[in-house]
Amino acid sequence: MSRTEDTTHEPVDGQQPPQEPGAQDGLDRRTVLKTGALIGAAAVLTSKKSLVLAQGAPPPLAQPVLCGTTAPVSPPTRPFLDNLPVPLPALPQILSPLPTKAANTGAGEAARDPHQRWEQFLPLVMYRMNAAPSLHQHHTDLLPSFMWTFNGTYPAPTPLNFYGVPTIVRFVNNLPTTPPNTTFGVNEITVHLHNGHTGSESDGFAGDFFPTNFFKDNHYANAYAGIDDFGGIGDPREAMHTFWFHDHRAAFTANNNYLGLNGMYIVYDSKDPGHELATPGSLRLPGYYGVTDLPLILTDKRFCAAANGRNEVFQVVGNGAPGGDKWVVNGKIQPKLTVRRRKYRFRILNTGPAKTWNLSLIRPDGTQAPITIVAVDANFLQSPATLTNRTLDVFVAMRFDVVIDFSAFPAGTSVYLKENVAQNVGVATADPAPGLPIGNVLMRFDVVNREPWFPADTPALPAVLTTFPDPIVPDASFQWNFTLVGGRFLINGLEFDANRVDHVVLKGSAEEWTLANDVAAGNWLHPVHIHFEEGRILSRRVRTSQNPDVFQDVPLLPEELGRRDVYPLPPQHRVVLRMRFRDFVGRYLIHCHNMNHEDAFMMVRWDIVDSVEELTRKRREIDERRMLAGLPPQYGPAKQGGLV
Amino acid sequence: MATPIKRRELFSSFAGIGASPASPQACTGASLIPNVALRTHEGKEVRFYEDLVKGRQVIINMMYAHCEEFCPAITSRLVEVHQQLASRMGRDLFMYSITLKPQEDDPAALKSFARMHGALLPGWTFLTGDAFDIETLRFALFRHDHIKFDLDPASHTAKLRIINDAINRWTHVAPMASMMTVLQHISWADPPKSFEQQLEDNRKLQLAIDKEHALYGYRKIV
Repeated sequence: MSRTEDTTHEPVDGQQPPQEPGAQDGLDRRTVLKTGALIGAAAVLTSKKSLVLAQGAPPPLAQPVLCGTTAPVSPPTRPFLDNLPVPLPALPQILSPLPTKAANTGAGEAARDPHQRWEQFLPLVMYRMNAAPSLHQHHTDLLPSFMWTFNGTYPAPTPLNFYGVPTIVRFVNNLPTTPPNTTFGVNEITVHLHNGHTGSESDGFAGDFFPTNFFKDNHYANAYAGIDDFGGIGDPREAMHTFWFHDHRAAFTANNNYLGLNGMYIVYDSKDPGHELATPGSLRLPGYYGVTDLPLILTDKRFCAAANGRNEVFQVVGNGAPGGDKWVVNGKIQPKLTVRRRKYRFRILNTGPAKTWNLSLIRPDGTQAPITIVAVDANFLQSPATLTNRTLDVFVAMRFDVVIDFSAFPAGTSVYLKENVAQNVGVATADPAPGLPIGNVLMRFDVVNREPWFPADTPALPAVLTTFPDPIVPDASFQWNFTLVGGRFLINGLEFDANRVDHVVLKGSAEEWTLANDVAAGNWLHPVHIHFEEGRILSRRVRTSQNPDVFQDVPLLPEELGRRDVYPLPPQHRVVLRMRFRDFVGRYLIHCHNMNHEDAFMMVRWDIVDSVEELTRKRREIDERRMLAGLPPQYGPAKQGGLV
Repeated sequence: MATPIKRRELFSSFAGIGASPASPQACTGASLIPNVALRTHEGKEVRFYEDLVKGRQVIINMMYAHCEEFCPAITSRLVEVHQQLASRMGRDLFMYSITLKPQEDDPAALKSFARMHGALLPGWTFLTGDAFDIETLRFALFRHDHIKFDLDPASHTAKLRIINDAINRWTHVAPMASMMTVLQHISWADPPKSFEQQLEDNRKLQLAIDKEHALYGYRKIV
């Protein structure tokens, strides 16, 4: 019974045990004894190891009691009480049973295709991420909340990796099975590494979710795209550094992420090595994880009034994720961080579910201080871009690696990260800076002089951060039309169906894709995410109000000039990008990363295949299916969306 | 005159620093689903939650008899779904089609609509009622928490709501998705399977994947 052993919680991770049916509520001594006896009995049947672990296991968490269907006003929280937490680096471990190329279904691994390029990229480092209920306290003034987290912490621990060192991350599902459901999540997960260049079987395809008591090994080659073309570990110009992983379960992505199933994943290489020493090729950016290089993982939440020793996160079974009235950074509301007078790197990540962040740095006198963007969506910009008079707009799932030079501020002062929309603080507090109400403050930086033991400042930022890969020469052009018809989000006329492919490309080919948002002006902006490889925006155009057939160019912002995987798409816009499809085959996704929209099926499956014969056949089938549904063909002569 | 506050309540409402207005309550069946009085296509008066949903797995859509855009296609789709799940319909699975235009659709109109579409089938009930109650129901079952959707009744004709009240699981599906997909989404609200059954299902899925790899060299359908 190695399966049982594997899904047993391990104290190393500090995670919570799986929920035993009937044992979740008010524990009296008798229940504890009874539960202990049950677990003990089960352990005797399985293994000695389980027995040892089970005896020391804490009692299962009481399921949450929620606060009705009307959104409450969250309780007051006093600002700047908590220090900014940093997710711990994930601890590698030897997995038992060891990962295998084909799914180890006998041991409880979820069914999947065999890992691609397994022999070429045998995993050298293994992690275990256990999805299970745990309590998380979002603020000193709040009681803990029942969450679903990886390894018992929110955000999840951060795997720190290196290009050329392939990893396996074993995602274990220990979410509660106890009916009735007491959270609005669903205890089935499929984890996507955003935006990993991985085989489809490790990509967290929305339809490939697996239930409680199963696990799935995601294989991350940690190689650059272009393995076939460049050999070795691919084209170093394709380097990406700041990834994140999150549940991608069809129709429940927003809910499961709101409950906490996400975390960051960083990959280093010689250019961005995770330290600040002068090593060959290093850009020498601020780079000590947790010291001078910190994730800022952003989300919004709403809390119920205190009851049963908890402030549960507000949620309504049957609905998508609610909008929050508290802004949360690395799991804390309005935290503070002591910074030394030197440069820091922050990896800003918007985990959604739906909120966009418009950030700026505010000096004590109320003026805006510069923030320098070095990377967008994990990709270095060609040159750093400094924002001085506009906000940093972080759409869902986007990552912005920014550098802030705190030596510009005197010791003893505080600077503030501002969000344009105010949160509900609930405690009367003077404006921390002129024109900056407390509700708009996301977090505070307290500037102090650098102590002798603290790493000295890094050199000035290099003027050139990276060289982009050679321009992509597309083999074809294809248009994706995003519309809203009768309350349905449609992409090329259809809603998401995990069992239906809507575009097929040939492995090794490249295409020019146009993302077209034809929804009326004033409607949503959709942050469109494309799995698998990074693209570059060629142009952005907007329909002129005078003539619907005429589009005018919108100049690209400096941060739009880099490579990326999330393409903000406002109504009436056309974004043209080019993408390659290399090294792997299988099923991939495009979707709006407003998770409530993707759960309303604003998502499309596209496949990479490795033979022209299959490409032709699948494309023919797509057009036949579209004609039966009364839709114009994508590959035929008359088109609205499709090959152009 | 306010009712006297019990000492215990006083204590609990001040337990948090400034309690928010909502008091704790279970987020299950009766608190989520209005128990409005409706009339079936047979003219029978029913309570929506108590009589139709409580403890059951149900598939709900909104329609109206004179709808010419989506409703006929969706109703004929539901007929196909009913055929696929015939052995469960009326036993542990029920279908409810609720009119969006109760002023137009009395029980007789709904019955003739159902007859016309071959939808007078076991376990499938068409429902009408008071316009306000229907609106309440629509909002409770289909809202997106977004004003652009929620105020537009038309936006709710194109989604099937699937609820298993016994396990408090809600899900949804686009009715015009492939039959395989529609059935899968309905099964997302099925009663929980035993671990042995899940292992068996997983083994079968792997066999199907392996078989497709052997036949086509890739995963074709499953």
